[in-house]
Amino acid sequence: MPPKSDPELTALRKELEELYKNLQEEQKKYQDGTLQELCESVGPAPKVRLTTRKLMKGHLNKVNSVHYSGDSRHCVTGSLDGKLIIWDTYTGNKMQIIPLRSAWVMSVAYSNSGNLVACGGMDNMCTVYDLNNKDANGVAKMVRELAGYDGFLSSCRFLNDKTIITGSGDMKICKWDLETGRKISDFIAHNGDVVSISLSPDGNSFITGSVDKTCRLWDVREEKPKQTFFGHDADVNSVCFHPSGYAFATGSEDKSARMFDIRSDQQIAVYKPPSQNSGFTSCGLSLSGRILFCGSDDNNIHMWDSLKNQHNGKN
Amino acid sequence: MVVSNLQQQRLVTEQLRREAAIKRMPVSLAVKDIIKYITEHEQDDCLLVGFSSQRVNPFREKTPFF
Repeated sequence: MPPKSDPELTALRKELEELYKNLQEEQKKYQDGTLQELCESVGPAPKVRLTTRKLMKGHLNKVNSVHYSGDSRHCVTGSLDGKLIIWDTYTGNKMQIIPLRSAWVMSVAYSNSGNLVACGGMDNMCTVYDLNNKDANGVAKMVRELAGYDGFLSSCRFLNDKTIITGSGDMKICKWDLETGRKISDFIAHNGDVVSISLSPDGNSFITGSVDKTCRLWDVREEKPKQTFFGHDADVNSVCFHPSGYAFATGSEDKSARMFDIRSDQQIAVYKPPSQNSGFTSCGLSLSGRILFCGSDDNNIHMWDSLKNQHNGKN
Repeated sequence: MVVSNLQQQRLVTEQLRREAAIKRMPVSLAVKDIIKYITEHEQDDCLLVGFSSQRVNPFREKTPFF
């Protein structure tokens, strides 16, 4: 005998398909131009050649994650060599080295204030260190060990010195109070691993990227997403808020980078290099938002003029 | 979307209904604001305009006499 709930489940599934179809039609109604078309009258981006200014050597194994402090000068890197290094990128000097309990670090975060760093990975934990509070050996002290994840820690971001949000392989987002060390909230965020988080410039919302091919926009105070963005054909590996706060960029396993606009609730551009060989593992936008950068599995950084959708080259 | 039971399916449907109901802006208007922001901040973006002189580039090579 089939389970009694089957007809209702089937009806719900059908409703879901209808809703999804209607959603796509609604979005199409507002698509009165592509980003590229609408930017035809914008002047070309000035061409500046990129040069490597600093080669920061020190790690003994893969560097999995980097994050800048709010001062745009210091950054933290996490490597499979089991260390966090705090760098002064103006000089290339190492300011601090923090040995980790677990070498399997996948994500690092620097608080905007520059006071704290966090990291986590295959240890299924998020560990927070206070850079101003050092032990007898001069090493930054661990101030919080946030545990209870059913999956690896893929991403973390400080909302401020008292609060951190994390994305993990158990498909969840967790929000922690660092003063008490207690979880404020945790909720299923996606239909697959959450792999990337990007905070909005005003700190009131954030975007998540997932292996379920979607990105979602969240209000930091809520547990239900505001919007879901479809478009990628494979894992979204990285998301980056546009400095304007109006849009965000993504890099994906599907070998494309995309721009999504929040207020029109849809994808507005697809960026592909001349030869599409590899997926993009990271993405970032320049200060004005004009240039899009993506790190690729082909060992290059690809750049585009985000408005005119012109591939600017690779490094 | 893969959901394992009725309750979860209901939640997914409710969420999609919520998201479908939001107010949207035409892409052309939304993009106008993005272009405006980029244009206003272009001069601050050193990856676009470079530095007026290398002395103001914080990442430049520093000589021992600095």
